[in-house]
Amino acid sequence: MSPRIRKWTRIGFAGPGAVIGALAIMAGMSLWLPRGTAGIDNLVLPLVFLPLIWAGLFFHACLDARLGRVVLVALGLFALHGGLVAQKFLGRPAVTAVTSEAPR
Amino acid sequence: MIHLPKEETKLMVAVHGWSGIMLGLVLYAVVITGMAAVFAEEIGAWSAGHVETQSAFARPFDQSVRELAARTPKEFQDDVDLFEIGDHNLGVFFHRHEVAPSGELINRGVYYQLDRHGRVAGELRGTGEEVFGPRNDDALSSFLVDTHVRLHVPDPWGLLLTGAMGLAMLVAAISGLLIHRHLFKDIFTLRRDANPVLVDRDRHSVAGTWSLPFAFVLAFTGSFFSFFGTVGVPIVAMAAFGGDQQAFSDTVFGQPGTPDPAPRPIGNLDRIAADAIGRTGGAPTFMTIEHFGRADAAVTTFHDPKSGDIEPVTLVYHGASATFDREKPSIGSKSSAGGTLAAIMAPLHFGNFAGVLSKAIWFGLGFAMCYVTLTGIRLWLARRRERQRAFDWLERAVSVVGFGLPLALLAAAAGFLVAMPLGSAVYWTPATFLAASAAAILAGVVVPTHALLSRGLAISIGALLVALPLIRLASSGPAWPVAIENGQLAIMAVDIAMFAGGGWTLWQLLGATRRRGADHDASLEPAE
Repeated sequence: MSPRIRKWTRIGFAGPGAVIGALAIMAGMSLWLPRGTAGIDNLVLPLVFLPLIWAGLFFHACLDARLGRVVLVALGLFALHGGLVAQKFLGRPAVTAVTSEAPR
Repeated sequence: MIHLPKEETKLMVAVHGWSGIMLGLVLYAVVITGMAAVFAEEIGAWSAGHVETQSAFARPFDQSVRELAARTPKEFQDDVDLFEIGDHNLGVFFHRHEVAPSGELINRGVYYQLDRHGRVAGELRGTGEEVFGPRNDDALSSFLVDTHVRLHVPDPWGLLLTGAMGLAMLVAAISGLLIHRHLFKDIFTLRRDANPVLVDRDRHSVAGTWSLPFAFVLAFTGSFFSFFGTVGVPIVAMAAFGGDQQAFSDTVFGQPGTPDPAPRPIGNLDRIAADAIGRTGGAPTFMTIEHFGRADAAVTTFHDPKSGDIEPVTLVYHGASATFDREKPSIGSKSSAGGTLAAIMAPLHFGNFAGVLSKAIWFGLGFAMCYVTLTGIRLWLARRRERQRAFDWLERAVSVVGFGLPLALLAAAAGFLVAMPLGSAVYWTPATFLAASAAAILAGVVVPTHALLSRGLAISIGALLVALPLIRLASSGPAWPVAIENGQLAIMAVDIAMFAGGGWTLWQLLGATRRRGADHDASLEPAE
């Protein structure tokens, strides 16, 4: 891979990649985090940690010398959390207009 | 200490520099207005001449709320919010919850503004966004807060913009930490006799390093607030509740219990307020009544943190009987890690957890952040000055924004002081801000040198700071004896701060002029 492509790949993962990744992780986290004693930790903690998740992805994309690892970690986290959200929607019955459904 | 390899350090220097250059001036606008907004309450009292010190919740208001309920359509009586407005008067918002076509949760109802005697001074109908605009007596503090929160850009874009600024600040703080090879040495290094660029670099490093934890906290909590409602809640509600934001809100903020819609008049609100003051030692900052007029009505009072604590206090009362139910966390029905973390975000961001002392520290550290932002951009430019004259416009922009923005904010304060007695402060506060901004930009275009431009704007800032207390008095603001008699010390404190700030600015400029004159004379001596 040419240095120019490597540079732009890194910029892509540090820029839009970090934003998309952080949003996907925030969404997915609400499905695997423990609910806690008040039953809200899985909903509130992803919102609190969003800026830090973004910063983690941004600095990892900037500082990891191995570009392959940057791609692997970012895409892996995106696939994992995006997959969790997709599974939640695919597993839902066709018409479920239940407004008071509790979080999983 | 973090020791990065040479290449990574170079990259971090580039990230630190470019994040500052690309977003530094907008970040400066957010930070300087945030710094002023720390004292928004005191500035509000100072500017509007508010001398009342007793909370609206410490005076009888139960009868007023009952009379308002009798004239309010039933469709808007699901919930009632009560809060202070103006000179410790009461604002009452009867409303119902709706979901907008966008899926966003909104409140719609009737907003009453009461005077000191509990009479209706204003009545507005609509959604929360429509009715909670600036008023004549709080136009200045509203302007400051709105500039800080959304830079006057419509939602959600304004919040997204300031959220992005928070992330930029987070990047600058973390990369600033990573590029220090000798962090502890740098904290104490100020070489006064070095060349000017090194002196500036030392000052930037010292101010930046000392305020680094603060910058991190502010950036983190600020972006949390900006992104919470704009992207956070919709996305988490989508993942957990299939997009139902009402379900999210009920789970996180709602009161668990068995619904009982049987009609039942609300209990005595004065009794609830007195009990809440007795339990917490302070009046509520906000009170909300859920299921107004029903047997399962719940009254929640919100209070500032107790002395020595950082988490705000929230009490719940049985609405129908006006009896104490329980103390609950600000977020969630039981204490939890997520609820506690989310609840301390506000005190950490606003610095209001230890009264005036913590606010003063937050103000001082905010000032340091402004200094770090501006000196950082100047350093970046100084390194490139030899090679590229093309950045001349940016150097000029730094002077215009760096000095012009505080000048325009002070001009807005002057505009408010003159216009408020005439009842037109909502228009003239932003208008004078824009006029002063235009004058600063014009000066940036026509003044021949950077030094002259900076000096001219700084003199204007100093002069306006000294003049503002006089303008306040001239426009019928309360004099110090009246303020002291009423126990309203904020008016005196802000007056003194303005005088001191303006005097110090002018004194510094005078000192610099004298030093330049002495250097000039010394350089002429051999020729003579």
